[in-house]
Amino acid sequence: MITTNSLTKNFKSYKKEPGLRGSIKNIFKREYITKPAVEGFDLNIKKGEIVALLGPNGAGKTTLMKMFTGIIVPSSGQVQVMGHEPYKRNKEFRKKIALVMGQKSQLWWDIPAMDSLLLLQKYYEIPKDDFDQKIKKMAALLNVEELLHIHVRKLSLGERMKMELMASLIHSPDVIFLDEPTIGLDLIAQESIRSFIREYHKNNDTTIIITSHYMADVQALCERIVLIIDGKKGYDGTLKSFENILGSEKVVTFVYDTKQDPTDAIWQGLDAKWDNNHQQVDLRLPEKKLREITSQILIQSPVIDFHTEKLPIERVMKVLMENPKILHK
Amino acid sequence: MKHYWEIYKKFVSTSISEATSFRLSFFLVAIMDIIFYLTTLFSVNFIFDHVQNIGPWDKNQLLFFISFMLAIDHLHMTTISESFWRFSDHIRTGSLDFLLLRPVHAIFSVFFSRFRAATVFNGIVAWGFLIYYGNQVNLPFLSWLLLPFMVLIGMNLLLVIEIILSTAMFWIVEGAGINFLRMQIQQLSRWPDFIFSKYTRRVLTLVIPISLVGTAPVQFLLDFKNYQYLLFLILFSFILWAFLLIWWNYAIQKYESASS
Amino acid sequence: MISLKWIDKWWQTMKTAWSNYMTYRYNLFLQVVGPALVFFFIKYNLWNSIYDGDLELEIGGYTLSSMIQYHIWGFILTMLAKGHHAVDLGQEIRLGRISSYLIYPFNFWEFHAASFVAFQAYQFIVALISLAFFYYTGLLGPLNIEALALGILYAQFISIFWFILQFATGLMAFWLEETWILRVILEIMTAFLSGAFFPLEIYPQFIQNILQYTPFPYLTYYPIKIFMGEELSLWAPILTISFWMALGIILNYLLWKRGLKLYTAAGM
Repeated sequence: MITTNSLTKNFKSYKKEPGLRGSIKNIFKREYITKPAVEGFDLNIKKGEIVALLGPNGAGKTTLMKMFTGIIVPSSGQVQVMGHEPYKRNKEFRKKIALVMGQKSQLWWDIPAMDSLLLLQKYYEIPKDDFDQKIKKMAALLNVEELLHIHVRKLSLGERMKMELMASLIHSPDVIFLDEPTIGLDLIAQESIRSFIREYHKNNDTTIIITSHYMADVQALCERIVLIIDGKKGYDGTLKSFENILGSEKVVTFVYDTKQDPTDAIWQGLDAKWDNNHQQVDLRLPEKKLREITSQILIQSPVIDFHTEKLPIERVMKVLMENPKILHK
Repeated sequence: MKHYWEIYKKFVSTSISEATSFRLSFFLVAIMDIIFYLTTLFSVNFIFDHVQNIGPWDKNQLLFFISFMLAIDHLHMTTISESFWRFSDHIRTGSLDFLLLRPVHAIFSVFFSRFRAATVFNGIVAWGFLIYYGNQVNLPFLSWLLLPFMVLIGMNLLLVIEIILSTAMFWIVEGAGINFLRMQIQQLSRWPDFIFSKYTRRVLTLVIPISLVGTAPVQFLLDFKNYQYLLFLILFSFILWAFLLIWWNYAIQKYESASS
Repeated sequence: MISLKWIDKWWQTMKTAWSNYMTYRYNLFLQVVGPALVFFFIKYNLWNSIYDGDLELEIGGYTLSSMIQYHIWGFILTMLAKGHHAVDLGQEIRLGRISSYLIYPFNFWEFHAASFVAFQAYQFIVALISLAFFYYTGLLGPLNIEALALGILYAQFISIFWFILQFATGLMAFWLEETWILRVILEIMTAFLSGAFFPLEIYPQFIQNILQYTPFPYLTYYPIKIFMGEELSLWAPILTISFWMALGIILNYLLWKRGLKLYTAAGM
């Protein structure tokens, strides 16, 4: 479905010294710097997959998305999406893809979303019945029937994002690129966008590439993760094995309402990490010993609350972003 | 073709529904254009209080030319001028990305998507003057029939020159400068070519054929013997459109898209 | 009120504005070359063909060469007095960016006034270069330094008036989506009525009579005459323009107050 082969994109920019003198110097002479945004990227995505592209800000996620959609032209290497070379911007190709960007809007700002959708109907030559049906279905799923006729500028960010999603899916694309679709949204809106995407994928078997900084998105939607760091691929595999990159231990947290003694015998050999007040402790436990040790601690100490880690992937991401070298070991 | 026509109808209706939600702006734009028409015509009128001819033309002939250019300006203002201003926003904010994704030619969705409903009715004024001065210069019957068509092909040439210029915005991201230059080009087209010296005239006819926009059709309408210019205009329109398509594709390859 | 720190804020704002003008170097080039292009290709050619090469002919009391001089001075005047645009101002209001000014210890108008001063300084240099160019083409004839100095001073005075007016159109953004329309209307009307198209002597007598009682001629026709070395009484123009400036400042103050109320109340 999507294949890339040593895909590379370089961007040129120029240096500018601050202040007036720098500005004047800049008029006459500019020093250009070429910086690779994506470098030697190999990837292979099959039909129907949902893949998360992860990485810190500026790692090259959006640049990759833009090369996949044909908005920018690669500097070198190959990219193929459904047998098309995206940058040739073939009309058939453009009919089969969709792009949603959480930070940009494709809707006309000063008119109701429905007007923009009707325009898209013409763009993509969607028969009227299909169109009406699709709108009805998606609006119901997203619970926005009432909002279709309200001016876009009056919508909340979450509501607008739902409209953006509808606008992108109205032509039933085969591949959907979602660039931070949940950015800046509240928890409810995030959740409803997630479940919409999940539902949509289930019913249409669409290929979906998604970038996000919210690990909850990834956890909920993706089986496969591709990690980009400094324009290069750092990891490519299942969510499960990604979580286990740093070892398969589970992190369990116990909370107390009084100060505990960390030197107590029950903590021996457990690599306990205490907070400053000695009222909370994190343990890393091998999966096999999880039940045994946890029940021991619950019996032997006055625990008021305990939980296992909800998003192990979040911890893994954090460690990897702070220290990308781990990946090369 | 039908596909494009269907989209264009939608562009128009969408733009209208957008424009009518800003009523004050709506009226002010219309008034602005009327003021522009009147000051332009009055100015030329005042000059003719002092002289009989400018170049080979008398007052009515020149005013017919000026009205012809106003009719082009009206069409331009109503159908495309807003898109040029939007284009620089599209590039700066990166919303151009979405236009590039659509399954129609990007030149079409960039430059024809904004229709200015407010100035439609100013056509009555512009065409009123054009017809009045056409009558004053005793336009032959055939010229009357050809008049709307001539306005159209004149505007077509202006349009393609302007789009070629605007394409440079892919490099010069802050579009105000280009739009400024574009307006200077328009200014040049608003006077008949004979006011320019021989050398300048050649440049404006053969290099940047902006002078053909009005001069060629009007010379032809006044006297069919002056058909050479008109042939030039048609020839140039084809050449420039072909050039634009190549130039645009080249520019799009270089597009870096604003980072989000 | 005037302290070193306050001056420093203005100075820094001006430097930022300069840096901004310089960043878009092509723009700078286009905006300087653009008007020059129009001037040479159109006005120069147009008047040449109106006079049809007749050096003796006088139109409205102007020979061809004095007519060309009128337009050159008009061009220099535009650079000195009218270059600054308040486009950003309206945009900042529309996009809700003025919120930051409500927090900064530096006023919205101060920010824009400082940018205006920065622009004036920059434009002054460009105007001098253009002047030197015209002088060396010989089109201008001998320069009268005294008239030049007086003209430049008067132009700076007028520029403040334009700034106040531009500021008012920018503030209209509280109520109006597209303030450029107002600006263009203002531009065309004042250009037509102030003698920027051509000298007022070309106008029919009755219009000249009416214009006498308006402030318009003081904006273009008068300063050009000053540059051309004509000795005019400056009392009437300075008093009239000062009066309009005062009105403009009051108007801006009211617009700002009411607009801000609207802005903070509606959240826009």
